[in-house]
Amino acid sequence: MAGHRPEPDRDSREWWERIARHEFAVQRCAGCGVDRFPARAFCPACRGEEWRWRAVEPEGRVESWIVARQPFVPGVAVPYVVVMVRLSAVPDGLAYGNWRGGREPRAGERVRGVYREEGDVTLVDWEPAG
Amino acid sequence: MPKRLLDFRDATAIAGVGYTPFSKNSGVSTLTLACRAVLAALDDAGLSAADVDGLATHRVGDSAPPTLVGPALGLTGLSWHLDQFGGGSVSHAVVGQAALAVAAGMAETVVCYRAINARSEFRMGGTGRGLPVSPEVQYQAPYGYVAPPQQYAMYARAHMLRYGTTAEHFGALAVTQRANAVKNPRALMRTPITLEDYLASRWIAEPFRLLDCCLETDGACAVVVTTAERARALRRPPVLISAAAWGGGQSHLSGAAGDPTVTAAAELAPRLYAQAGLGPADVDVAEIYDCFTYSVVVQLEDYGFCPKGEGGPYVASGATALDGPLPVNTHGGFLSEGYVHGVNHIAEAVSQLRGEAGDRQVPGAEVALSTAQPGYVLPATSALILRRA
Ligand SMILES: [Zn+2]
Repeated sequence: MAGHRPEPDRDSREWWERIARHEFAVQRCAGCGVDRFPARAFCPACRGEEWRWRAVEPEGRVESWIVARQPFVPGVAVPYVVVMVRLSAVPDGLAYGNWRGGREPRAGERVRGVYREEGDVTLVDWEPAG
Repeated sequence: MPKRLLDFRDATAIAGVGYTPFSKNSGVSTLTLACRAVLAALDDAGLSAADVDGLATHRVGDSAPPTLVGPALGLTGLSWHLDQFGGGSVSHAVVGQAALAVAAGMAETVVCYRAINARSEFRMGGTGRGLPVSPEVQYQAPYGYVAPPQQYAMYARAHMLRYGTTAEHFGALAVTQRANAVKNPRALMRTPITLEDYLASRWIAEPFRLLDCCLETDGACAVVVTTAERARALRRPPVLISAAAWGGGQSHLSGAAGDPTVTAAAELAPRLYAQAGLGPADVDVAEIYDCFTYSVVVQLEDYGFCPKGEGGPYVASGATALDGPLPVNTHGGFLSEGYVHGVNHIAEAVSQLRGEAGDRQVPGAEVALSTAQPGYVLPATSALILRRA
């Protein structure tokens, strides 16, 4: 793991459980149909509290990235790349993850999420969609 | 603009500023730093501790609250205080709220301070401290994405990709501000640097190099807010608070992520300028929150000094130098003077408007803008427009 163990909250615990089953889920508001990520109890569009999980392909486009060159987290090997991905399923949703491209990311390139097991935790990295 | 705004413009003033020395290791507690800065600001104003009836600060668990500073200085009968949870995005809101309290008659003399051992105890940008309290963190920290230099670097690259902003643009800002720090006896870094020095400085988080990042500093800074009328009777030339604005706006949290190259300042700026009855063309000097080079570039755009996307070329043109049309961070800023989480920017604006900035004085400075962290870490920012009385 490049960083800290994730600490799910009551809004997000099921999201992490689904990730552990290799299912990338977003929430769809039952009131207005807007999809959202990350997991929250309220819809920011209509303030509704009714929603359901929706499994989507972990796909998006690279919006930016950094190359961490100093160990911001103790004990982690540098350099490593973190990408900021705008999710195809949620236009307002940004996901972060480590880059597994074998080269620098490119602005706007299509990427897909790949699951990584770290002990008993599953994380989502990103690689070129090809 | 709110419809029922108190007639606030120029009703209050900053009557004094105070500093502790800036260092890499203060050797004293944040409580001691806070007390020293508060007393220094009162002394500057020609006031005593007995005159204080309000205290205000902002902090993220790393400083001394008013409930400690008041008793430590024997301040009794405080009628107003504020202990604002928050980092640099609320640094100017604290002064704005103090000004509102004074304008409303809740208090007459409020000292706003920030004390921080950011180098020797609490590394904002480093390792080994607890993670910020935010549900966002769980989606980021497992990937080693935890620190402000990384977050700002991410947004800086987005700006570079969108607008062609370059490392040389960021470097021009770092070089320009260092040139100002050379003329500032208080500054921690006073060795001139060149663009080559900038480009040769080590990587922190690409696209940021060491010289893109502010100096974590031990120190404290304070300002005294009182009524404009009272300030006129005190020791120093009063500096009027013409406008104070704060609030939310453009979000960059992952659930509502708009354009990453626009900050909350873009929404705040029109409200701020309207309150002052002034515009960007009226600003003589700007002290702009420079936690990183990029934060200045994007705010120059969002506060209307140049078109969107042209902040880099604007800086590289020399516009923000001491002899340019918009001198920016005349003290060297957080990049070279030191990092007191927003308050030293306010204090420098006051020095400039009082005509007391020494070798770095901007001739005839009458109107200053000073800004907070523009809202990248949280969707909130704040700013002040100050005016020579
Ligand atoms: Zn909804």
